[in-house]
Amino acid sequence: MKALGFAWRSLVRQPARAALGILGVAAVGALLFDMLLLSEGLVTSMRDLLDRTGYDIRVTATEALPGRGPRVTGASGTADALGALPHVRSAIAIRLADARLEGDGGVPLQVGFQGVAGGPGRPWTVLRGRDVQRPGEVVINEGIAGQRGLGPGDRMIFRPACDAESDAPPAVTLEIAGVAEFPFEAVNEGIAAGMLETIDTACGTGGRDEADLILVASTGDTDAAAAAAAALRPDLHAVTNSEVIERFSESGFTYFRQISAVLSAVTITFALLLITVLLTVSVNQRLGEIAALRALGLSQQRVVANVFCESALIVGAGGLLSLPLGILLAVWLDRILKSMPGLPAEMHFFVFQADALVLQVALLATTAVLAALYPMRIVARLPIAETLRNEVVS
Amino acid sequence: MNGPPSSLIVRAIGVSRQFTMPAGPVTAVRDVTLEIGAGEHAAIRGPSGCGKSTLLHMLGCVDSPTAGTLLFDGQDVSSLSDAARSRLRLRQIGFVFQRFFLLPMLTAAENVELPQAEAGAARDDRTRRTRELLEFVGLGARSDHRPSQLSGGEMQRVAIARALANRPRLLLADEPTGELDQSTGEQIAALLDRVNADGTALVIVTHDGVLADRARRVLMMKDGRIERESTR
Repeated sequence: MKALGFAWRSLVRQPARAALGILGVAAVGALLFDMLLLSEGLVTSMRDLLDRTGYDIRVTATEALPGRGPRVTGASGTADALGALPHVRSAIAIRLADARLEGDGGVPLQVGFQGVAGGPGRPWTVLRGRDVQRPGEVVINEGIAGQRGLGPGDRMIFRPACDAESDAPPAVTLEIAGVAEFPFEAVNEGIAAGMLETIDTACGTGGRDEADLILVASTGDTDAAAAAAAALRPDLHAVTNSEVIERFSESGFTYFRQISAVLSAVTITFALLLITVLLTVSVNQRLGEIAALRALGLSQQRVVANVFCESALIVGAGGLLSLPLGILLAVWLDRILKSMPGLPAEMHFFVFQADALVLQVALLATTAVLAALYPMRIVARLPIAETLRNEVVS
Repeated sequence: MNGPPSSLIVRAIGVSRQFTMPAGPVTAVRDVTLEIGAGEHAAIRGPSGCGKSTLLHMLGCVDSPTAGTLLFDGQDVSSLSDAARSRLRLRQIGFVFQRFFLLPMLTAAENVELPQAEAGAARDDRTRRTRELLEFVGLGARSDHRPSQLSGGEMQRVAIARALANRPRLLLADEPTGELDQSTGEQIAALLDRVNADGTALVIVTHDGVLADRARRVLMMKDGRIERESTR
């Protein structure tokens, strides 16, 4: 009987103890897995969201977030010029504004508005109806459609809040061309989008041709496209998706990573102590048997290997169980965290990554080894004769 | 087999064993010189604490003398590594314990197979040898039973079969009937006689005068020394 088979039989011999160990490892393993998913989950999710827009470079007039700094001037011309650069497939200028959607005597709905120039792509996906084709037309998201019962062909009264320094513009009536999905829309957030002229007209800023950002899609070589964009307009900031992620990783997401690291360390320590205690108790209950096996000629390595295999089996079985448990727990926790207001609906805190799985396996394997060290030491240093004598005396 | 030893298996030359205790050193075995030959049947008797088991453990290479020399097959045991001693015990020495020490999660057959597997015996050979041994100890029909399903006498029979698994030249038994009633003890004694009759040297540590009297040599110990030796 090999060491692994022997260890299995030893575990089955005390099913309650084995179950306790396996369930304990499964519980802490699930938590560990979730912490590993959390540590990179937001970054992965954000990267995925940015990539899903189809644009890999953001050109802005400032390093501040779009909508919070000076705008890009000559936006339409700049978008066209950027779109004509080598390594660039297309470029669109986007202006952001807040707006109030007037109801039929009901409570107004606060929504976001995006005005787009350039093309040919759009940073949204039409779900129903058609895309905007002329000024005065908009697409709305499901948030507006659901809350106001609007759809393609309907009209809506719109009162934009354009610049803090300008007077409140009059309400305008816009025609809904279709219902679309926006990558960064939050749950229940209302978003409408149309051409840049539409927002200019509504705000009474016609002729300014300003945008909060220009999205650029490269033909593949993102860095070359970003460099070309920066060379075209040295006064602007061209930032790739990777750089955006890097900035977020260095600032906003460090918080989750730190929490994840601390909780991971705590769970690993707990697993380590649990298995060490269980194995030590188990070994101490079997000292006579182990001494007898040594007297019968089983080598020190063999009895030590038996203990190690017991640890490996407990951690292995618990680790396997921890994966489905961890996934269920992650789905649940993700739902709770995503209920925070203002987060994009498609943003996730817990995202499955192969790296996290590999790290989970490596950490649990290390735990199995470390947890077995003390009981293995007891077995390795067991004085055979003295133990046999003590067993008889006791 | 009660004849004179044809060849020497183990030889203790002036061996002593001292233990360090909190109250000071305690000498369990003092200056014992002893030879056990092939096929011999010896019993070691004496009051509790006289050093019988300690001497047996040294003869079985699970303990080392703090003074003197122990030779097994002419080789100084103190020069052997732990691994070499394990191999020596595995192939040359069998142990039977008062408390049997069968592994409760294994069947009788698996308990007997364990030392054979450790010695690297092929599966077919192990199965055949295990069947032979369990038949020999009268438990051929109970090979699939776990220790918890066996009586004390049956467990000791399995332990004897396990001790014989790798055809040892020397079988050491420490109070093999100590946990058994008189009738069962006699059955075990008879079984050990058969083991010895088949050529295996047998050294038994026992309080049981009847069991000791079945041996050709009886060594009486007192205060760690062999006080007297009788043969028949």
